[in-house]
Amino acid sequence: MATSLRDPSTLFFQSEAIRRLIISSYWVVLIAALPLWWHTTSIERLSLPTSRVNAQADRQLRLPISIGLEDASLVGPLQRELDSRGQRWKGLDVTVAGAAANASYIVVNADNAALLGERRLQFPLRRATIPLLADALSDLLVPRLNSHRIAHYAPRYRLAFTLLNEDAVEGDAISSWDISTAITHQLSPLLDALSVLHNFTIESQVQFHAPLAFSPQPMSDGSVGLTPEDLTVFVNSAEWTLSSSVSNDPVLHFLVFVPSSSHRPMHILDAHGVPTTAESFLLPQWGGIVIYNPPNTERGVRPLSHDALSSILPQFSNQLLSLLGVAKLPPGIPSTSPLTEWQLDALLRRRAFENTLEATETLQSIVRLVDQIDNMPVGQDVRGDVLSALSSLDHIHIHSKTASALPLPLSLSLNTTLHHSATALTLASRAFFNPGMLALLYFPTEHKFAVYMPLFASAVIPLLATVIREVAAWRKQRREAAVAVAAAAQ
Amino acid sequence: MCCRRLAFWACLPLAVLGLSETFHEQLHIRSLPDGKVASRFSFSTILAGAHPPSPHNRSLDDDPQHYTLFPLGLGQILREYAVTEMHLTLNAGKWSYDRWGYPEEDGVGTGAELWAWMADGADATVDQRWLGLRNALAGLFCASLGSLDELRTTSPGFVFAPGALPDWPFPHAIRHASLPSEHVCTENLTPFLKLLPCKSSSGLASLLNPHRLFEADWHGMGLHVSWLPEEGVQVRLTFQTVSDPLRPSNKRDWSFGSLFDRTIQRSCPVASSSEIAVALPFRVPYTISPEPSLVDSGLAIFDVSQMEKPLDVSLHWPQGFQYSTSALAEAPLSIRRTLKGYTQDNGELSVLIKNDQDRSVDVAYLETMPWIVQFYLHTLILQIDGVTRPELLRNITYTPPVPHSRATMFQVIVQIPPRSTLKLSMDITKAFLRYTEHPPDAQRGWDLPPAVFVPLDSEPQRRIYAPTLLVDLATPDFSMPYNVIIFTCSLIAFIFGSIFNYLTRRFVVLQVPS
Repeated sequence: MATSLRDPSTLFFQSEAIRRLIISSYWVVLIAALPLWWHTTSIERLSLPTSRVNAQADRQLRLPISIGLEDASLVGPLQRELDSRGQRWKGLDVTVAGAAANASYIVVNADNAALLGERRLQFPLRRATIPLLADALSDLLVPRLNSHRIAHYAPRYRLAFTLLNEDAVEGDAISSWDISTAITHQLSPLLDALSVLHNFTIESQVQFHAPLAFSPQPMSDGSVGLTPEDLTVFVNSAEWTLSSSVSNDPVLHFLVFVPSSSHRPMHILDAHGVPTTAESFLLPQWGGIVIYNPPNTERGVRPLSHDALSSILPQFSNQLLSLLGVAKLPPGIPSTSPLTEWQLDALLRRRAFENTLEATETLQSIVRLVDQIDNMPVGQDVRGDVLSALSSLDHIHIHSKTASALPLPLSLSLNTTLHHSATALTLASRAFFNPGMLALLYFPTEHKFAVYMPLFASAVIPLLATVIREVAAWRKQRREAAVAVAAAAQ
Repeated sequence: MCCRRLAFWACLPLAVLGLSETFHEQLHIRSLPDGKVASRFSFSTILAGAHPPSPHNRSLDDDPQHYTLFPLGLGQILREYAVTEMHLTLNAGKWSYDRWGYPEEDGVGTGAELWAWMADGADATVDQRWLGLRNALAGLFCASLGSLDELRTTSPGFVFAPGALPDWPFPHAIRHASLPSEHVCTENLTPFLKLLPCKSSSGLASLLNPHRLFEADWHGMGLHVSWLPEEGVQVRLTFQTVSDPLRPSNKRDWSFGSLFDRTIQRSCPVASSSEIAVALPFRVPYTISPEPSLVDSGLAIFDVSQMEKPLDVSLHWPQGFQYSTSALAEAPLSIRRTLKGYTQDNGELSVLIKNDQDRSVDVAYLETMPWIVQFYLHTLILQIDGVTRPELLRNITYTPPVPHSRATMFQVIVQIPPRSTLKLSMDITKAFLRYTEHPPDAQRGWDLPPAVFVPLDSEPQRRIYAPTLLVDLATPDFSMPYNVIIFTCSLIAFIFGSIFNYLTRRFVVLQVPS
């Protein structure tokens, strides 16, 4: 003991090997812990298929349309006439042929008047009427629509029917309505026809106190008028409980507004303040409103009469069609059914184009955003959604190419295209709004270093210093040993 | 696509065509022994012949819902989450059973309380639907019901017994949670009024003046959905207040004008019945105006639709008010519940139950606690006048807490001998929370849910809520996380440096020239 204290180098832990072992074990632990540290502090950023997304943006969706013409001699002129309206037929490959069996639409000759059938148009076919026929076909296949009115595409809509009494307490009010029977009889055929595009959930309610947020303009004849400005603020969302909170499906509202007895009759005024005969109006992308002035012969609290309801429902169905983007038939071409295949096909094509475009744009936005913000995590679910959206988009293009070759029925082919485009849109939006992408957005690198530095700097500096000292000592020893060996050799 | 076949579904829950809906409103006013006035509004809508939404039939999503008087927003929630029975109460203040007796409505626990009975067997489990129900109601009522999470949810099926439950192949389960720190205010009343067919524009609801309701000594609102097999599905909205007419005038006299600062101008045209019931004073002279439609067993009944408008009911005592010194109310039990101990890591829960009757009473006692307060059951002691009486305790049901996730449920049945006070005490430990688990106002402490007592031998069985408690947990210094990091790092670096230094130091003996 006494000797070891006099000469510490004889202590076992003072041997050079042990000391070097201790230092190296510190470094082994430090280096072994580095991957763990890296793993726990790094942000998961999976790579996104940027080039595929950009390639997708360059592709144009093209849908084939073939028109069969009974009179084969007019094929050339009609094709030329349609080609001259090129801008309007963007994205569509129109081919006119003779009365072939696999044409999607058939035009046959009718001597006097035009008539629309199931993908079949009777039209007076003469060389002189070819421009007229081209116009009619353009209006049927690619109708012009006010795109601001049309509600954003959703696979499911809630249709909310509301009967609003401005003030039931004044005594003269509508207490109930048999809306469910009316819908079954008057609206269901339409909804069934539209079911290839959307599902509908129907709900209805009655309100007995629905005041307006403004006072309507009194007219000289005792009635009141709604100016076009009033119509824009007609819906009093603060007082009318219209919104439903239980699902995320978009809602289309259909309101019957019964003015209070002091506000009757209520008319819609035109821009010059003159009453019009219109009693309904449409709020773009929101819904439709019918103003119902009860006849003076009725008094008291009573249900809505059957006649009134059956005059209101057609207005609702018109409003529903324009909100969903169903085009009106061109003038002069009557049809037997309420909703023809021509209109439905046009809508399917329109929605397919819209969805594809929007899905592509959303995917591009995701890629751009992830490029710009380095801190943004990209998880497996985002990547998966982007890839699935891309494959859905690929399906659309493959499908539209093969569909023209295969003798598939047109409706089936369009339905498949719409289905894929809706899937692509849903997935792209879900990826875009993935909450996981926001997780570390506001946790910058500077912050992390501020937290690490006080610990790591003070711990690593002695470690480094010892290593340097130890290496220097070791080299010195080797030099001395070499000198000693050389001296011994001499 | 699914709208047409719906019409043919027989027995469609909440959506059968041509269901008749009726709306009844009632206002009950009684003067309390201490001079205050308790009023209770009750608005009930019955969907005649309807059944509760069944969770087994998921095609319901596509069924149309047609309502006339029944609130659509609520109907959607009930169907989406397949709720058979549901009770939501939002109260502010402490109901004093000793002075006011039993309330008209049982649910008077401070803060928010939600309990629901739901059937199992759906695609979504009961817990998933419970989560959805909480969030949907939070949105509907603008209240922080989303905080009634798993940390506060228990299943006390005995105390919160259901009304009628439909006979379905799968069993029903209860979920209960309470949030005593929730404050009820105008933003909750506005959506409440929107669920009524006449809103606040006519009928009894026009008396609901937020300026007066929320300055009352005690106020609370409730939403009760239940199934009455004979009638249908009932939604009942209630509002209770205890106002103090003595404060401005030193007289017990009250009128609608003085209580609510409003009178009834118009009656609700769609109400099947609309009545005001005033409890008449007993053996003292009084005048009531206007003349009631009917006086029946101490109650003056006014039929609002028949009365002349504006209607302002008032009650006048010619004799002045004398504070009574004797026991005031008819409540059978007097309960005091306190949390003792001043340290931040443990304490004692003490409950005093006083039975003033000449017979012994069996009482079910329920505690539902978030995990932050944990009971030591082995320290549970029952005493009467200092004498330990363990035989008075039976039927212990206990769900232990799981830290950071599950709440405690503790339920016992105790017997209280006649004319005696039972003292029940138990040691508790207070949890040490994670940094992120503290609420924004951590220094204030945590409000603990009220305990519930049910005297078992009375019929009907009524719940008594004990006041809430406040517990002070150890709170960190939130203001200086960075300083704490720096300090800790310096300490660790110092320790690391010293140890490393000792391990690798080379000792050399220096000769000191002496």
